[in-house]
Amino acid sequence: MTGFNFINPFGVSDEPGTYLGDFYTDNFEKKATAGNVILNLGPQHPSTHGVLRVLVELYGEYVLRAEPVLGYLHRMQEKMGEVKTPYQYLPNMGRVDYLNPIAWNWAFAGAVETLAGIEVPERAEYLRVIAAELNRVSSHLLWWGAFVMDLGGVTPILYAFEEREKLNDITQIVTGSRLTLNYFRFGGVGQDGDARFFKLIEEFIPYMRERLKMYTGLVTDNVIFRRRLEGVGPMDESLCLRYGATGPILRAAGVNYDTRLAIPYGVYDRLECPVPTGQPNDCFGRYMIRLLEIEASLTILERALASIPEGPTLVAKAPKPTYKLPAGEVYFAVEGARGQVGCHIVSDGGKTPYRVKLRAPGFSNLSLFAEAAQGTILADAIAILGSLDLVIPEVDR
Amino acid sequence: MIRAIWDNLKGLYSLLVGMKITLIFLFSPQKTVHYPRKTVERENLITYRGPLELTRGKTDPAVTRCISCQMCVKACPGHCLTVVKNPEKSVKAPIEWKYDFTLCCLCGACVETCPTSALAFSHRIYLVARTREELIFDLLADLKARVEETPVLPGEEGASAEAAQG
Amino acid sequence: MDLSLVTFAQILVAVLAIIGLMVANAVVMVYVERKAAGFIQRRPGPYEVGPWGTIQAICDSMKLLAKQIFVPANVDWVLFFLAPVLAFFPVLLLFLPIPFGPYLTGLAVPDGIVLILAFAGFGVLSNLFAGWASNNKYGLLGAARAVSQSVAYEIPLILALLAIIFQTGSLSLTEIVEAQGSYPWQWNILVQPLAFFIYLVSLVGETNRAPFDLPEAESELTAGFHTEYSGMGFALFFLSEYANMLLVSFVCATFFLGGYKGPFLDGIWWTFIKAYLIMFFIVWIRWTFPRVRFDQLLNINWKWLLPLGLINLWITAIIVKLLP
Repeated sequence: MTGFNFINPFGVSDEPGTYLGDFYTDNFEKKATAGNVILNLGPQHPSTHGVLRVLVELYGEYVLRAEPVLGYLHRMQEKMGEVKTPYQYLPNMGRVDYLNPIAWNWAFAGAVETLAGIEVPERAEYLRVIAAELNRVSSHLLWWGAFVMDLGGVTPILYAFEEREKLNDITQIVTGSRLTLNYFRFGGVGQDGDARFFKLIEEFIPYMRERLKMYTGLVTDNVIFRRRLEGVGPMDESLCLRYGATGPILRAAGVNYDTRLAIPYGVYDRLECPVPTGQPNDCFGRYMIRLLEIEASLTILERALASIPEGPTLVAKAPKPTYKLPAGEVYFAVEGARGQVGCHIVSDGGKTPYRVKLRAPGFSNLSLFAEAAQGTILADAIAILGSLDLVIPEVDR
Repeated sequence: MIRAIWDNLKGLYSLLVGMKITLIFLFSPQKTVHYPRKTVERENLITYRGPLELTRGKTDPAVTRCISCQMCVKACPGHCLTVVKNPEKSVKAPIEWKYDFTLCCLCGACVETCPTSALAFSHRIYLVARTREELIFDLLADLKARVEETPVLPGEEGASAEAAQG
Repeated sequence: MDLSLVTFAQILVAVLAIIGLMVANAVVMVYVERKAAGFIQRRPGPYEVGPWGTIQAICDSMKLLAKQIFVPANVDWVLFFLAPVLAFFPVLLLFLPIPFGPYLTGLAVPDGIVLILAFAGFGVLSNLFAGWASNNKYGLLGAARAVSQSVAYEIPLILALLAIIFQTGSLSLTEIVEAQGSYPWQWNILVQPLAFFIYLVSLVGETNRAPFDLPEAESELTAGFHTEYSGMGFALFFLSEYANMLLVSFVCATFFLGGYKGPFLDGIWWTFIKAYLIMFFIVWIRWTFPRVRFDQLLNINWKWLLPLGLINLWITAIIVKLLP
């Protein structure tokens, strides 16, 4: 055991060319000003939600530079699409983003249906909307809890989990699972909802509205919470557009872009879904947008429940497991909880697709962090990271 | 200045509102389900789709409906099913039906493609195993054991209802 | 004060009793805190170990004792092991002048509050040593935060107490209690509500508890200054944190809530009831509020608590001078 080196406490050598970290740390350190602290936030850090690693250069508590390092949770989802038939690959979509699996289900199923020209029955389209909106609420709820936990409030996440349990009970009726839902089939949905399914949703909508009032009192109006967020990490329109941010972040920046309305799919154009905008473009605006989106989702759910028609939930000639995609190329995008979820399939008519590209909204949204975190305090950088609503499995895929 | 003081007083009031909410929750009943003492209610349990099981035969419940067509084996994305045909061509029923739950993703491709509905999801939510080998199920033996335990299902259709209890 | 054999024996007994109190307090408070957190979050909290989980805290402390003490590379050995000890032992001294009952005081010094405030400064020193010596950047950031926070929050704390001292005209804790009556309307909290409020806020800041738990902010600095401590080192920090909470609660009860005086009968239980009510308040706000940011923490202190404390002190001084 050697003694403590008072001159060079962190063991970083001053000689050029001798660095102690790995590739990323070394590269980062080369650009650092001498005397500043280089800190690895993650891969195992309480506020990076999984295994995201962020390299930061700190001057005291100020973040001079920040650089996310990805790849700790890469699972070759895209490559898997090339070795499995579309039917076999479909259950995988729930694993890409485990908090918002329905949107990914829809992106892939929609792409295949567009390429193959499969018509989806009316009732299945409504069931898809219901499932997607339930899932959006559930995803936003978990984000809400985790975000407040990033800011130091430990209790709200457990209240959010109460609601999530109810949502899980509802989605379990039609999908059979609670987390990595696999509900969609090519040309419809897996199972029709029974009476209990619709009854639970009808009970959930007013319950959730009551709980949102409680959230407002406990968190949104809390002065500590507001002062932590207001004016922190502004992301203006140009920044969002340059990095390709979508979803609540883009809408908080003032751009009224929602894939549900911009490129209508399913029956969203018939439901006139409300899209909340007009919030400030700071962390608090992004927070409010998501809470308003929960309310908007509840409204969409009410409308969908009111106008759901009777009929089959799967087309008569639904593709079999050995179904071969016709040759061609298609991009299909849906609005997930985190932004635009896209799926690009290139098929040469073989058993498996030639290439599957998944567009993860979290990946683009994370790119904003490096620029937005510059010059902030460490605690603000954590708040900005939380407000981006990152799910690392989705970012890495 | 006065405005700043007023804002701070309002802020203090908002803190009191939050404290009131947590105080109410402090004295309201808990939501936890203590697992070994309480379990999830049944109507919530039977919607869970757990590991696969073979359904009971139509004539003899202990004989599977499986005709060894290998459709499920082809459909499975995780390659977790092994169905061995009977060497005698006249008998369609398989001689071995192995199911590796460690590889299964519970997607349901096999259940949906089965032409004779010989497969179904069980509701065994409290499944526990100590070793990897315990999760490789022999479904033919499992079916036989279930039929021996309850020869006639109490009123409910589908072989999966009883597994919810066990 | 001549250190006769009787005084020495008295101090020895008091110190032993205080060690017992500290350990018992930590065990009880860990259980109460986890139960309260559980009930607030609508879950049962500790439940399985012992009846209603009552011996969970004892089992946890046994676990901490049995754990390996992990020492990271390149630590400063002396400071690394000195820090938890330094966090623990000054607290023993701090409890000596507290009047638990009418005659129950460890060491009835005439200026007890000076002793408490002077030795309370050791806590921040131990945090600084721990963060600096553990050769960890999170620890260093936590230590830096701990120092500036403690230095800042001691000032309004003292100002709030000074107002009471002006009013009573004594530095002895027993005399301050004796100056208050047995019933709530005779307590200092009604005479000095602003001082009580300032003390209550700076008490949370002084003990590094949420929402002012910046030195160990979990979501930012993983565990702050005690990131690298395990086993007994961590247990000592933990013990001293709860002991510090108890101490500031006792001081608060003594100064503002009438100490051992209470309706019907004066007695030791009034001290404990009042102190533990304040402890419960600390626990309650911890599980309700998010954490403040560091600049906000200092802003609250320097821009609001300090001017308010000074104004309060001036007004008290003028009134004391005018109405003798």
